[in-house]
Amino acid sequence: MSTQSSRFEFDPGFEDDRLRIAWYAVVGVLVAVGAYATYLRLTGGMASTNLTSIVPWGAWVAFYIYFVGLSAGAFLVSTMANVFEVEGMHRIDRDALFAAVISMAVALLFVWIDLGRMDRMYFPFIWRQLTSALSWEVHAYVAYIGILVTELYFSMRIDLARVAERTSGLRETFYAALALGRLDTSEESQAFDRRWLKRAGVVGIPLAIFMVHGGTGVLFAVSKARPYWNSGLFPVIFVISALLSGTALVMMIYVLRTRLFDGDSVDPDLLDRLAQLLIGFIIVDAALTAIETFIAIASLHPHEIETWQVIMYGPMSWSFWWFMVGFSWVFPMVLLSKKSWRRTPSVMVLAGLSVVVGIVAVRFNIVVPAQVMPVMEGLPHGSYFPTLVEWGTSIGMIGVGLLLYTLGAETLPLTPLSGGDHE
Amino acid sequence: MGCLPGEPPGQTVLVSPFPPDSAYIHVYDLQDQPVGTEPAARRRDDQRRVVAMSTADDGDTLPGIPNVGKADLDAMVENERPDPREELADVEADTDLGVSMAEDAQRVARGELSGDEYWEKYDEAAAAEFGEAYRETPNPAVDAGDQTVSTETAESLSCAVGSMDTVSAESAQIDGEGGGESDGGIGAGDEKWGMVIDLQKCVGCDSCTVACKSENRTPPGVSYNVVMEEEHGEFPNVTRTNVPRPCMQCDNPPCVQVCPVSATYKMDDGVVNIDYDRCIGCRYCNIACPYGARYFDFGENYDDEVDEAGEITSPEYGVDRGPREEGKSPIGNIRKCSFCTHRLERGEEPACVETCVGDARNMGDLENPDSDVARMADSSRAFQLKEDEGTDPNVYYLK
Repeated sequence: MSTQSSRFEFDPGFEDDRLRIAWYAVVGVLVAVGAYATYLRLTGGMASTNLTSIVPWGAWVAFYIYFVGLSAGAFLVSTMANVFEVEGMHRIDRDALFAAVISMAVALLFVWIDLGRMDRMYFPFIWRQLTSALSWEVHAYVAYIGILVTELYFSMRIDLARVAERTSGLRETFYAALALGRLDTSEESQAFDRRWLKRAGVVGIPLAIFMVHGGTGVLFAVSKARPYWNSGLFPVIFVISALLSGTALVMMIYVLRTRLFDGDSVDPDLLDRLAQLLIGFIIVDAALTAIETFIAIASLHPHEIETWQVIMYGPMSWSFWWFMVGFSWVFPMVLLSKKSWRRTPSVMVLAGLSVVVGIVAVRFNIVVPAQVMPVMEGLPHGSYFPTLVEWGTSIGMIGVGLLLYTLGAETLPLTPLSGGDHE
Repeated sequence: MGCLPGEPPGQTVLVSPFPPDSAYIHVYDLQDQPVGTEPAARRRDDQRRVVAMSTADDGDTLPGIPNVGKADLDAMVENERPDPREELADVEADTDLGVSMAEDAQRVARGELSGDEYWEKYDEAAAAEFGEAYRETPNPAVDAGDQTVSTETAESLSCAVGSMDTVSAESAQIDGEGGGESDGGIGAGDEKWGMVIDLQKCVGCDSCTVACKSENRTPPGVSYNVVMEEEHGEFPNVTRTNVPRPCMQCDNPPCVQVCPVSATYKMDDGVVNIDYDRCIGCRYCNIACPYGARYFDFGENYDDEVDEAGEITSPEYGVDRGPREEGKSPIGNIRKCSFCTHRLERGEEPACVETCVGDARNMGDLENPDSDVARMADSSRAFQLKEDEGTDPNVYYLK
């Protein structure tokens, strides 16, 4: 679907048709599994989970904060290009924003399925509670999605207009509609877009850091009944691990989409820059987590110490050592250690994937262990591992996210048509 | 709505002496029962059958059934029956009128006199005797679907202020304005409810837990009350403390703080309420409660153990929700002990307090300095669970 223009080439979507079919088949299986599991969830109610009144929050909540983190992290990476104007980052601006939008949508799907009364999902917009972090969060999420969509629009609008100009019929209507009818491709219109992109980003940064992801950390940290969460450092670590996972995701998407969709070669300098960012986040995340652990253990508070014992030596300690420490810190750190590896796309995809998977365990290790210890001596201990329904629905919702992302990547000019940085 | 001639009016006049206040309340009570002539007739048949059976008993005793001596019992009842004239002599109203109304009402009940005739006979006399009070009595026929007094008769009566329903609704309102217990709905009482549990008296029998489950009809996995058992020391010097744990009804409840939709809140009487119609089931309160007192209703049932286990539910927080049904609150909501608000409102103690074999649990008004609970909560033995949490529970324990 090349355009006539020699200057801009717009051909989104898979380069390889067989790969496209294979990918959609995989995503289709995930969504189908998820649909069946969701059917079981809807008919069986919350009894289809392994949740109890002792461990009331499980996989769905863990995935919810995981995707909120992924979104906040990806968004903050995008602001490096459009607010802080770090050189060479514009190439991944839209990738990061679009991934942030999709992640947030998936996060809200997880919140929704986790409600005991899914039919009452809109109640937090009717009734509120000023002292409830969750009440604030729900509103912050909506505002944040608004910011993300606004940013994506201003970032992509000029290319939508260009594509609309070069196509006809339904396609033209489609892209013109996405550009909201603003089809001007002049310098002034671009300057206008860029100005508003920056403004939205300036509002979005504190919103993402303090409200959306910091706030999600606060949601846990205010629970005085759970000493493991009840710390001032907790929301900060939340934001750092969000940045870690978001950067890793953007790095991975950048390589994969450039290779498989654009058929271009990856810019090793940009890759190196993202990789170095990742190193920084891994160090800060691991260091702050170590500080948090030390404070907890030094407090000699039995609840804190026992919770950390559960994490490090309990039946689920493999998730801490292998996934949290191994996949999100040590393994990627090894891959990022050599300059030549940092400039090798395949190695960086592996590093990114490792972090993206490892942070899932970080989120599980936030949510579950704090509920294993009883809030009072004499009450029963909790134990939790998700049911197949919980895994199935989670896979399905992730599948929906992948599907939406792929459809977007196949139709939208996520790669700037002018090739890279501001033309 | 049934009317007087059904059956009980005879008793009404007999048992209620005539002070205007109470007399009419009795009338309301009795008339509220859905009684018609037909069921009354059937009941008479039943009585006859009972009589026949016990007569048979008197004659040849059936194997395994003791002879109860019906004649003796009848005599005992007759002895206990108050003399109508003596009873009515104590009240201002006319004794003769009372007795003859009562006798005629019994005739109506037996079908010897029609309702119309009864009302026509006494309308004038009653109006003369009771004046305004009588005229304000609800007309038995207005709006009554199954009334046995003809409309013409009903309309000719002096008591004509409206149907039974409207009058009782109005009188309830007047009671409310007077500052009664129903003032402003559930949980608005003047008391501040508190519970004191004497750990020296608790034997750890778990009766409270059982009574609670049966009173509140809680499903599997939901137990508003548990007894935490703690063992201290090493053999042979072992002591055991049993700590029953209901909801603490904290003065600073963390659960209320975190609810995103304000579905859980403090009532004026100190009880923390849950609005099942608003709760979205996010379980944040479950996480926030430092006492583990909140339970999520996963929708499980005791159907395998008890037939139709969900047919009867408890009117928690004063709301009768009918049989337990899938997808209907409180399934998918959070639940917890309500201090048996529905029992407190009708002047009863919570089920756990009532059932406690060691009299370890006490319920009362913490704001009344003379109440038992207030005095116990002030004693040097008193403490609260997790005092340093700042939640300030309204459940106190005695060491």
